[in-house]
Amino acid sequence: MALPVKTTDFLQETGGISVFTGRFFKEAFKPRYEISEFLRQCFVIGYRSLPLIGLTGFIMGLVLTMQLRPSLIEYGVESQLPAMVGIAIVREIGPVITALIFAGKIGSSIGAELGSMKVTEQIDAMEVSGTNPFKYLVVTRVAASTLMLPILVMISDAISLFGSYIGVNINGITSFPLFYTQVFNNLGFSDVLPAFVKSFFFGFAVGIISCYKGFYSNKGTEGVGQSANSSVVISSITIFVIDLIAVQITNVLNLN
Amino acid sequence: MEAQTIVQPEKKKSNQDVIIIKHLNKSFGSNKVLVDFNINLEKDENLVVMGKSGSGKSVLIKCIIGLLEPDSGTIEIFGRNIPDLDRNELDEIRAKVGFLFQGNALYDSMTVRQNLEFPLRRHWMNVNQPEVNKLVQEALDDVGLKHTINMMPAELSGGMRKRIALARTLILKPEIILYDEPTTGLDPGTAKEIIELIVAIQKKYRSSSLIISHDMNCVRLAADRVVMLIDGRCYAEGTYDSLKKSGDPKIKDLIE
Amino acid sequence: MAKKTVNTIKLGAFVLSGLFFLIVLLYMIGKNSNLFGPSFILKAQFEDVQGLVPGNNVRFSGIQIGTVKRIKILKDTLLEVEMRVDKKMEKIIRNNAFASIGSDGLMGNKVINISPSGQPAPLVAKGEVLNARNGVNTDDMLQTLSKTNDDMAVIAAQLKSTVQRINNSTALWEILNEETLPRNLKRSAVNMQLATARAAAMADDLQAIVSNVKNGKGSAGAILTDSSLAMNLNEAIAKIKGVGETADELAASLHAVIKDVQQDVYNGNGTVNALLKDSTMVTKINSSLDNIQKGTHSFNQNMEALKHNFLFRGYFRRLERQKQREAKKTMAFQEQRPAPADK
Repeated sequence: MALPVKTTDFLQETGGISVFTGRFFKEAFKPRYEISEFLRQCFVIGYRSLPLIGLTGFIMGLVLTMQLRPSLIEYGVESQLPAMVGIAIVREIGPVITALIFAGKIGSSIGAELGSMKVTEQIDAMEVSGTNPFKYLVVTRVAASTLMLPILVMISDAISLFGSYIGVNINGITSFPLFYTQVFNNLGFSDVLPAFVKSFFFGFAVGIISCYKGFYSNKGTEGVGQSANSSVVISSITIFVIDLIAVQITNVLNLN
Repeated sequence: MEAQTIVQPEKKKSNQDVIIIKHLNKSFGSNKVLVDFNINLEKDENLVVMGKSGSGKSVLIKCIIGLLEPDSGTIEIFGRNIPDLDRNELDEIRAKVGFLFQGNALYDSMTVRQNLEFPLRRHWMNVNQPEVNKLVQEALDDVGLKHTINMMPAELSGGMRKRIALARTLILKPEIILYDEPTTGLDPGTAKEIIELIVAIQKKYRSSSLIISHDMNCVRLAADRVVMLIDGRCYAEGTYDSLKKSGDPKIKDLIE
Repeated sequence: MAKKTVNTIKLGAFVLSGLFFLIVLLYMIGKNSNLFGPSFILKAQFEDVQGLVPGNNVRFSGIQIGTVKRIKILKDTLLEVEMRVDKKMEKIIRNNAFASIGSDGLMGNKVINISPSGQPAPLVAKGEVLNARNGVNTDDMLQTLSKTNDDMAVIAAQLKSTVQRINNSTALWEILNEETLPRNLKRSAVNMQLATARAAAMADDLQAIVSNVKNGKGSAGAILTDSSLAMNLNEAIAKIKGVGETADELAASLHAVIKDVQQDVYNGNGTVNALLKDSTMVTKINSSLDNIQKGTHSFNQNMEALKHNFLFRGYFRRLERQKQREAKKTMAFQEQRPAPADK
């Protein structure tokens, strides 16, 4: 039920999200700006997600390192472990895993929150209270998730690399300076910048899709659950699609 | 069918109508909810619109406040036609028109105080903090729930929530208050208290009220004038007593 | 309100820590690319940059000192590589240093290695073009190796068939195993020498007789005073002398032949050639040679092909193109084959 099964449903959904995105850009750059609500959302969406994303990032770094080690030993390039893990984390694992966790946490919470607000007429109440609920609820959340996810990705990268350092040291001994020299010597701007840029798009996708699903939630408590569920599902799929497009673009622009 | 006037209102006609609705049509798909609907709300009166559930009462009230756009017809509040107004002009009107939602529509993520402050800060942007505190206290005092100021809506009972919602509506000192099913979902005792509160407030602030209800207690206690909404039309109009005496089977059906 | 401030502070700390890591990341990478430190430009010109791209590392004696900034095409056979090099290296690199393109490990990225020449020279200036030296290019190396491999495969195949033919040819082995041959040759030579010696002695005797006759000594002198007779005698002596000289020459060449044959027999190779030089002398060899010529017709061709393979590579291509002429040639070869023996 979470995924649109029929083609028309799918097209309707896509069209709906497109219109919603257009409305976002139309409303986002017009006063009045909901600065304090935006900051509050940044705090909720960004800062509150940190423990979860930090933990998963740490485990990812650690596990990835330990999983890669046997294969690298087989080829006799165990010394390249930090470089490989570094590139994998910064280019792909960091942004995508973080975005997926983010979609799970923030997507469902936005979907459910806006869904229940819709169902209990809180959105109408805002409208009546002289507030543009689109600006107050949607623009702030989408902007916050667009801007917070890249920052979460950066912090998650750092924590993952630290996890990887520990992973390297479980089976061998590598000094921190050597680890860090190896990681950074093998990274280029072309590794960091596309990953950083695409995480903005991930954040935007999670924000806009979750808000859309919540904002147009069906009546009833079932509708709220559905909004939360499909927010996560569609956001996650969209993250992979954006990732696919991003890799094509970086290839075309010759950034790797 | 034209509105059938059974009994002229006993109350002396006041000098002006605050809301005048003419030839209002609204349909959802093929479902015609309001058909050529005419109504007017006079200053200082309590008007109750009665009708079965699904008869389009809520649609009517949402058209009045601008949450729904009618297909045709005019809705004039203080002489201005609601469907023609843009957002800013609508907000000016909404600052003077309170709306009590059927499900209260309290913001779950905010405390009682924040709930009350919200419309205040939204509509009156230049209000300072001491003034806000004073108004919040005053509104809570009106509904007798001063002690709940720092509680979350989830911690309150149904009746208390309704009162808080009422306080939030009252805080702007509206000239018109629209009530959407104010007694729905409350036990008879609490419902009676709420109705009495509505009447008291109407007396205190000398506001005009439009009450949507199908609760006979509510009609009996609060109504200066009653309008019966049947099949999307204004079927009958009069005082509670006069309608009660009516032999029309449809009216009888509704009153019993 | 206080809580809100605390939250804003937390948010600020969160945002700053994220940006801090981004900046650290970019700074570290930038530092590796020498984007931030003071740097200067050095250039080097190559015919082929072998896949070098901007951003590749520049090393001086193995130490990372900068990156490739830009690669310009000067003309169809010349590329100029601009390198951004750490300012500190200005006081170290001399202008006779060599720049070469290498790679970071067998499969790694391309790097430019700058190596000092060891000779005294002034320090480099900004934008100076360093001498380029073509380092070992794995591509070229692999290409050469692959060509060599192809050639080796052809050679090996042909060698294999040649060796098989030799092994299968009983006639050849008979010759190789023949032990009487050198002995016979030796004996012939000795006989020749004896004959020559006798001829020489005879000539001496004749000369002595002639001089005696000239001086009128002996009974025959009267008879021999006849001048016409003397002329005839003189002629005869000269002829005999000539015979002796020819015999000498013959003996000398025979000696050489024997030496060769002896050497060849002992070394086990080149016997065929030795045989060819002297085939008329031993009938057995002659018949064996006939056998070889008749029995192993393609052997000659193979040997020729083998020879051509070492010298010129396109032998088979030419062979196909000139099939007919080649056929004639082979015929000619067959006819020519005994020719050296007649010399």
